Amino acid sequence: MIYLDNAATTLHKPPQVMDAVVRAMTAMGNAARGAHGGALEAARTVYNTRVKLARLFGCPRPDHVIFTANSTEALNIAISGLIRPGDHVITTDCEHNSVLRPLYRLEEGGAALDVVPADQLGRVAYEDLEALLRPGTRAVVCTHASNLTGNVLDIARIGEMARRRGALLIVDASQTAGALPIDMEAMGIDVLCFTGHKGLMGPQGTGGLCVRPGVEIEPWKVGGSGVHSYDRRQPREYPTRLEAGTLNGHGIAGLSAALDFLQEVGLEAIEAKERALMDRFYQAVSAMDGVTVYGDFSQARRSAIVSLNIRDYDSAAVSDELSETYGIATRPGAHCAPRMHQALGTTDRGAVRFSFSWFNTQEEVDEAIRAVGQLAEG
Amino acid sequence: MAEGDLRWYILFANYEQGLALHGLLSDAGIKNRIAPAPRAIQGELSCGMSLLLEPDAVEAARRCIEEHHAEYHDIVPLAGQIRSRRDKYC
Repeated sequence: MIYLDNAATTLHKPPQVMDAVVRAMTAMGNAARGAHGGALEAARTVYNTRVKLARLFGCPRPDHVIFTANSTEALNIAISGLIRPGDHVITTDCEHNSVLRPLYRLEEGGAALDVVPADQLGRVAYEDLEALLRPGTRAVVCTHASNLTGNVLDIARIGEMARRRGALLIVDASQTAGALPIDMEAMGIDVLCFTGHKGLMGPQGTGGLCVRPGVEIEPWKVGGSGVHSYDRRQPREYPTRLEAGTLNGHGIAGLSAALDFLQEVGLEAIEAKERALMDRFYQAVSAMDGVTVYGDFSQARRSAIVSLNIRDYDSAAVSDELSETYGIATRPGAHCAPRMHQALGTTDRGAVRFSFSWFNTQEEVDEAIRAVGQLAEG
Repeated sequence: MAEGDLRWYILFANYEQGLALHGLLSDAGIKNRIAPAPRAIQGELSCGMSLLLEPDAVEAARRCIEEHHAEYHDIVPLAGQIRSRRDKYC
């Protein structure tokens, strides 16, 4: 199988990730529960992974890196823990449902929500966003890169606007963590939500949020923390404040090994390779008759995604044909990005998303180009 | 399948319903395949997965669903859009 669905999850992981998970399952106790060898092994692994993530994302304090099961959970924690009824919040058409649904729920509960529209190339106008900021705007919640078009948002620019108006910036880095540079301080990010199983190439069930010191997120779940057991309330200190219950220590051990791999290869090399694969595919398919490609490919920096449609075919039929006849895995449909599809005009038939990773090859891309070409011929 | 041939899709509210029926149909020897659900027939309730049936398996599938009280959203025919080159390796 040629796996080109890396925006959903990276199927091919560095071998050391698997080794680390297996090793952890034979040696790891429960982090922050006791002081025997197994518990300390877990605590050290978890802490060291916080350190690596803080370094990668420019988070000032490792103890402000909080682990969750995925970025959806991280976004729910950040959004529900910071925004209250009566608050004003701004988001964009580019968002995944992991941002939109928590915000819609808050809106039903009395928060005011404004959405910055995207054009037919999936771009937002930053002036539109700035015009929506007002006194009382609690937060801007936005993605770093669209999971449908791959378009990157200028987070530093949004961060500067938000800071100037006293609003928080919560960023969904699901598509960019491990693939593009992120620096919370330089970009003005207050809360960065990430998943471990996409660009970071770790196991599913890992993810988290990095919180700028001084940002006070109220926990939505409380419970066992391993410390302050006689207190009736959840400890206020990060990360314990937001991490009730046993962590996914085995998965975090795998994520730690994945972060070592990223460090070894280098983010620049990863971005350059993924960009080259994406460019090769884009240049070929965008020139084909009968192929419509979505997104802004003039961007200097973007996520390695090419979404397209062929002739008048339903995206599900194309993706099925790619899988069954050519052995190529892609993602059709709506991609949990309803507003983005509405902006692109693809609500009725969806789109076929090709997404590339470090482990893809030029030969695989060429095979995908050949398949799209044959389908476009009819 | 050739372009224009009718394909029968069983649609579901979620993957769990689909995978459960896939197991029931397969156990009963009724040929079916998991496929992405075409947007054109997904409707409001259905999810992104479907079970694809040959036309001559539809009635047997209906009987199997009834017998097991299996949950599903709809069974819908749709003309194939793509002329498959699946026999290219034969």
